[in-house]
Amino acid sequence: MPQIPSFSAMTPGSSRADRLDPRAKWIVTFAFVVAVSSFGKYEVSRITPLFLYPVAIMAVSGVPVRSLLGKTLLALPFILFVGLFNPFFDREVLLNLWGYSITGGWVSFFSITLRSLLAVSSAVLLVMTTPFDRLCLGLEKLRVPRILVTQLNFLHRYMFLLRDETQRMVRAHHLRSRGNKPKIALSTAGSMIGLLLLRALDRATRIHGAMLVRGFDGEVRLLRPLCFSCSRDGAFILCWMFFFLLARFVNLPVWLYGWMVGK
Amino acid sequence: MSHHFLEIKDLCYTYPDGTEALKGLSFRLEHGEAVGVVGANGAGKSTMLLALAGLVIPSGGSVNVGGTLLSKSTLGEIRRRLGFLFQDPEDQLFMPTVFDDVAFGPLNQGLSAREVSERVMDALNGVGAGRLADRPTHRLSGGEKRAVAIATVLSMLPDILVMDEPSSGLDPRGRRLLIGLLKNFTHTRMVATHDLDMVLELCPRTIVLHEGTLVADGPTANIFEDMDLLERCHLEPPLCMQGKCP
Repeated sequence: MPQIPSFSAMTPGSSRADRLDPRAKWIVTFAFVVAVSSFGKYEVSRITPLFLYPVAIMAVSGVPVRSLLGKTLLALPFILFVGLFNPFFDREVLLNLWGYSITGGWVSFFSITLRSLLAVSSAVLLVMTTPFDRLCLGLEKLRVPRILVTQLNFLHRYMFLLRDETQRMVRAHHLRSRGNKPKIALSTAGSMIGLLLLRALDRATRIHGAMLVRGFDGEVRLLRPLCFSCSRDGAFILCWMFFFLLARFVNLPVWLYGWMVGK
Repeated sequence: MSHHFLEIKDLCYTYPDGTEALKGLSFRLEHGEAVGVVGANGAGKSTMLLALAGLVIPSGGSVNVGGTLLSKSTLGEIRRRLGFLFQDPEDQLFMPTVFDDVAFGPLNQGLSAREVSERVMDALNGVGAGRLADRPTHRLSGGEKRAVAIATVLSMLPDILVMDEPSSGLDPRGRRLLIGLLKNFTHTRMVATHDLDMVLELCPRTIVLHEGTLVADGPTANIFEDMDLLERCHLEPPLCMQGKCP
């Protein structure tokens, strides 16, 4: 039974990145995703300076490369599917590399893959370096609708219980089936999923009851102030914003090459 | 303090499928009394507790909590006075961290941030879980979850505690700690459980339910010595009375 990957791998408070205000992290991550996706479809080399962001966050937070890659690559099949047809439709030769003609389709496919991996890695880093409740608190303080944030919190809280319940059902099925690796028939899977839904509904009813007896009136209130430090969080936002703008509007690889050759 | 009583009269409840779960229950708990509610599976224990908190609407009879009759308009008041501990702590602990969960009730009562923090830490320290305040609720052990679930109720300063199977799922040490904790409470309290040994230790008075009716109400020792009654209600004497003390 595959496990739900635990993205919150780091111990809360264990790194400098973790001590940042979650709002600052959300803003910078969002800006990074916007910057990455704003490049033209044939841009490849100009995107490369943006690798500095995940590398720097990884270095500061101590997230292992392997762990980040493992979680980022989970999105690879979806990413590849997005650009899959580009090489077939866009056959215009864009450049020649060592005698090989590279079409626009392949360049855009590579660009999409690169940009998507960068965006996903930044999101994974955000989740890995911030406890989930602080992420949600940050969203709430950024005026994301409360109902959405509450849904996210509940999803995270009960995801593990649902996983455990599913595992128990699958185990019970396997123990009464033949063979070493019994397969679940489609009809059985259907009734198992239905049963899981009914159990989830029962639990939801009980949780709602538990909330009502403690005075729930439709609003989930929290008592955890976030502390936005201008010198720490403000500087974090400003520095990265400046770098993203620089990378977006100045061709850094060409400039760097010119500077090195000129020197 | 005399308003910490609980009285139910002719309480009836029928499930939508027609099953009669409660058939005219009546009893009264006085201030500071600890009462055990025992009965076989399906006797109506949990349904009765749900009806006390207004989580199921009785089809007949009345619930009086400290002079306030249960109705739609008094639900909030009743729930403020009645602390309800659910059987499964996973249902009770729905917030991301222990602190948030214990603060949920006091925040809904409209208390100030300082008061809420004080209440949360008092409640957590009261159950010996002060060190767990910043922990995610889903990462706690069974005993810790139970202790924190009790703290979520205590933080609301209820007059009456109603507990559904508080010792279920606990290991022997966790169960012993829970009994020690509950012994120190001075609230009016009602414990619905199959753990008759715990009832013997905690509750001087016991109510026996059978098929939705109240069949006995009296001193715990007398009830547990009545073999005919216990057999009729599909119960057995506590292990310690059978010479098999756990």
